[in-house]
Amino acid sequence: MSTSARAMAATLSDGSGAERRESLSSQIDALSRELAHLRTLAHAFERWHQDMIALTEHSHNINVAGDDLTDLARNLIIVSLNAAIEAARAGSATHGFVVVAGETKNLSRRVQELTGEINKHLHKSLLLTTATFQDIQAGGKLMMAAVSGLEAMSKKLREGLD
Amino acid sequence: MADLISEHGRQNLARAFERAARETLIVDVNDQISIQDSEMLFHADPGQAILLITISSFTFRLLTIFQIAEAPALSAYYVRGAAGRSLQEAFAEVANMCCGAINRQLALTWPHLAMSIPQILDTRCLAFVNDLRPQYLSQYALSINEAVKLRATLCLCCSAPVEFAALASEAQESSGELELF
Repeated sequence: MSTSARAMAATLSDGSGAERRESLSSQIDALSRELAHLRTLAHAFERWHQDMIALTEHSHNINVAGDDLTDLARNLIIVSLNAAIEAARAGSATHGFVVVAGETKNLSRRVQELTGEINKHLHKSLLLTTATFQDIQAGGKLMMAAVSGLEAMSKKLREGLD
Repeated sequence: MADLISEHGRQNLARAFERAARETLIVDVNDQISIQDSEMLFHADPGQAILLITISSFTFRLLTIFQIAEAPALSAYYVRGAAGRSLQEAFAEVANMCCGAINRQLALTWPHLAMSIPQILDTRCLAFVNDLRPQYLSQYALSINEAVKLRATLCLCCSAPVEFAALASEAQESSGELELF
């Protein structure tokens, strides 16, 4: 039993009828005030909601940029392959260019691997963020419903007392 | 970690989804829908999207994830009669009704439940659903009139033991069957 409930029970068993009513009335008033404070939770949920929307949009933009980077790396590999082919055709005088083209190709492959890894992290991050966002959103509705239920009970108690 | 949901609970959750899907994913009552348990379908098809809706309680969250392919049959089925709407918009409404139906069934056991709004993600995100550390994961291949294809995933994450009861009507049907014997 909570402290306030114990206090209420003690008052009801010890005091006179009028005292009991007065005590109960003040307890209900206190409960109503606490519930009114709790109702302002809705502002916090709205703030989290707005932040999460911004975060989700931000993650989405990073994903789009990641896809663009992957395309860029893919094109870079094609260009470096073409450069290597052209250098080979040009003969032994362009040996240095062949080496540079080969290195460019290797670096492009590495960039592609890295962007692939980054994209995986981004997709994972987006799923985890969205799942958390939805849980917070639904959890907020749950809590507000609980507050509404308690307010209704408090109102009934007040009506019963009056 | 010990199982936080029993086999019975898993079966009832699967039934709740199947029942909701049969009630809400068809446009016309005469349409035929088949729902098959499916092997893991976490491959990412370029250009596809997934739609997520979460049902939360204080002790668990259930993510229902639909894979939406930009297939002509799917668009024709869900967008018809709603000119100017995209498939994703039209399907988000249908998916919302489906999860609403699941929500109502789960509320028989868990009166404190709430639903999120639907959100669309890249289908490649689905590959990481195990990172949500689900206690129960199941996937379905759905087919409407053998032409419209959908995939759905149920992902249940619990922080305490969770049980789901069968619908009262199912229990009655079951007891009715027993009486025949």
